[in-house]
Amino acid sequence: MKAEYINFFYQATNDVFKLMLNMETEKKNLSVLEDMISSKDVNVHLGITGDLKGNVLFGFPKDMAIEMIKIMSGMEMDKIDSFASSALGEIGNIIGGNALTNLSKNKYVCDIAPPQVFVGKYKSFSLDNEKILQLTLKTDIGEFDISIFLKEK
Amino acid sequence: MMWKDSYKVGVELIDDQHKELFRRLSEFFKVIRGDGSWEDRMAKVKETLEFMQEYVIIHFHDEETYQEEIGFPDLENHKFIHEKFKKEISDCAKTFEAGEMDEDKMQEFGGKLMTWLIMHVGKADQQIGEYARAKEGQA
Repeated sequence: MKAEYINFFYQATNDVFKLMLNMETEKKNLSVLEDMISSKDVNVHLGITGDLKGNVLFGFPKDMAIEMIKIMSGMEMDKIDSFASSALGEIGNIIGGNALTNLSKNKYVCDIAPPQVFVGKYKSFSLDNEKILQLTLKTDIGEFDISIFLKEK
Repeated sequence: MMWKDSYKVGVELIDDQHKELFRRLSEFFKVIRGDGSWEDRMAKVKETLEFMQEYVIIHFHDEETYQEEIGFPDLENHKFIHEKFKKEISDCAKTFEAGEMDEDKMQEFGGKLMTWLIMHVGKADQQIGEYARAKEGQA
């Protein structure tokens, strides 16, 4: 997997955070994982198909996920209900869509499957020896991860 | 409040309509996330869905007319996005009327709607204001 793919997702994430939450994200750490694992509480999974095939996972701590929806909605919130979970899924979907638009300028044409939101830890074992890149980003309301596994067709 | 001044397009009519849309949607989100039985809240949900269906038609029409007036280059694409949005609202209203939309499903729709609307107003609609200002600058 080319490490540059993660930059497309980082750029799209940063743009969407700026627009939706009026907040910058800062790269904190990049690590290589064997399996798609997130120790975070709320995980948004995107399946990618087309010229690139694979998975993208956004992992947020619960407090951060709640704060994001509070900022956007201006409402009080103390739990991840269906409203919050769906909003988080849609944020992931928009970030993924923007990243794929930029990738298509680099001749990769891909589609995105509807986002799935998992409340609780996420673990999916890799069936081959491909590595997963996990980028940790820092914001004013907490740290979150983007994990990416993409393979060329 | 869901509305933020950073979402302003810079065209008074459009901004006023966006504010009204956000205000009504904020109320709607409070209702679908509120306490009490779902049956008691259904009347308010029905009312908001009816309002939304009517209001987005008026707002999108006004916004598209303004885009035409200034010769906004991306009008067709913007119209297409509006049509898709109108369909999402009317599909939701139909499903609700058919009694197939419970509280969870309505919350799911609401969360998606909020995110979509912020993104649309915060990004796509901003291009209208930017284009209008650039054109004024040239005049």
